[in-house]
Amino acid sequence: MSDVMLIAFRHDAHKFTGESHEDASEEFAGVPVNQSVPEGADSDAAALSRPQHKQEQTVPTHNDHYRLSLLTGETAYDPGEFSRATIESEVADLIGVEDAQMVHERWLTSDVAAAFNESVYHPYTSLKYHTLLVAALLDNYLDGNEFADLRLIVDPPGEVVPFRTVFDGDRFAFRIDAEDGDRPSARLGSRPWRSWASAWNRLTAHPLDTDHHKYDMTLDANLRRMQSWSTALQYVEDYAEWRPDR
Amino acid sequence: MEARPMTEIQQVLWELRMDYIGHPYYVSGNAILHALGHHLDPETHAAVSASHGVFVPGQFGAFPEEHTQSGIRPYLGSGLPEVEAYDDLFLQREALHPWLLDTRARDALNTHDLRVHGGHPTLAHETIMGRREDQRKQQQTTKWYVHAYLHANDPTVLPLGEDVLEGLQFGGKRNYGYGEVELKDTQMVSLDELDYSRLEDAETYLVELVTPFVLESEYPNAHDQDVPWWWKEDRRNLREREEKVLMQREVYNLQTVDHGQVVAYEDDRPVETAKSGILRVGSHSKYGFGELRVKPVEPCSNQCQDSEKNPKVTE
Repeated sequence: MSDVMLIAFRHDAHKFTGESHEDASEEFAGVPVNQSVPEGADSDAAALSRPQHKQEQTVPTHNDHYRLSLLTGETAYDPGEFSRATIESEVADLIGVEDAQMVHERWLTSDVAAAFNESVYHPYTSLKYHTLLVAALLDNYLDGNEFADLRLIVDPPGEVVPFRTVFDGDRFAFRIDAEDGDRPSARLGSRPWRSWASAWNRLTAHPLDTDHHKYDMTLDANLRRMQSWSTALQYVEDYAEWRPDR
Repeated sequence: MEARPMTEIQQVLWELRMDYIGHPYYVSGNAILHALGHHLDPETHAAVSASHGVFVPGQFGAFPEEHTQSGIRPYLGSGLPEVEAYDDLFLQREALHPWLLDTRARDALNTHDLRVHGGHPTLAHETIMGRREDQRKQQQTTKWYVHAYLHANDPTVLPLGEDVLEGLQFGGKRNYGYGEVELKDTQMVSLDELDYSRLEDAETYLVELVTPFVLESEYPNAHDQDVPWWWKEDRRNLREREEKVLMQREVYNLQTVDHGQVVAYEDDRPVETAKSGILRVGSHSKYGFGELRVKPVEPCSNQCQDSEKNPKVTE
């Protein structure tokens, strides 16, 4: 089981190194990478975040794997911070461990994974959250849960459920699971599609103070406008960093 | 004399000319009425009701499947397309704006750029994308629009003239010029002449709250409301939210069912419910609250057709 989960966390290593999917190395930092994820979890997670038909560049001035921020419009690329050696060493720390649960926890707090997008054609998407979604779907599928059973669930911060937690912040966490245990939740839908706003709108309670706080209301207003799951989860993370009132 | 039924609405599209400091979900109908109050005599003003104003990006788009028109249009968000059927009314009334093209960075174009003024997050009146020092010509500017509509219990009041709809300001810090809008487009739509056949042909329905539904209000003599009985039993899961409404310089709290939620519809008069949902239900409907959309449930939704149509891609 653990080995299969490692495949999920290592399946997109080529995006860090700039190799194409076809020419991707089979090994990175001594571990196998870029292998196909079983159960269709990768393509289902991709369908949650980006259009699945014709691939073409959506931002004409941007064509690399460095993520563009939806909050600032800036690229995550920083020549000082992102030397090839730095990236290699940070990525090795992120995926080069054999304990899959530890790898999951590293992804949840990774800054380097948040600096990359899941597709050069869709530069606002996030490799970090795409990978966490792949792992959550795969773990659910391996447990016999079908996509139609799955829910977006709001958990208290720091309550990390192995492989199923897809976001962990200072105020709340998000998990993809079949049982909500009376936590606020919403079904993802019958088939994987770009449905972030739809799931967010249907949550039985929002983890934000939308009664009184302008910054929470503004975050909520923008979260109701997004389709892509990885873009939206990354926006929640970036917004918490950016908030001038905290 | 028997009152003539109110069957016409006036759609209005304003272009934001300056950053907006105010309610981030929409310009409330109350705020729109308040701004119109400066231009109207009291009798006319009392007869008018306003919807909430929805923020719309001025962008390229493709008409959704349920729309009576089809194809891709440049700047679908910056004009008022013709309205022939019930579903046409909602093109610009969903925050998600599903008509935005996938060939562009739709989530970036549809989210508000934020600036901070006086400690408050402020919605920028335009979004500039793709700018790089060496490629200045490649930048794209998206302007933001506010879509709303008016109706009146006196049929002689509408349409309001362009002079009345021009020169308005919404939100806070208006003395500093924030929230200034310019009238871009307006048109009358007769609700009785719309095509409701897509609703008539279905068997099951969902109801979507386009704006919050007011349950309780601190405002004097606004009677508390129950959630309409024809919203099926899952209404106990409905998420609530507190809103504030400003009237005669007093702030009143409202307890609302939060907008954006969807419930099963359990009645057999979908067309009547659809019509009353356009003109809104519940207390404070005059101020934009309680707008709802009735959606027919099809055996296979658009989304599932979409994923069948498109081959799966793994990168």
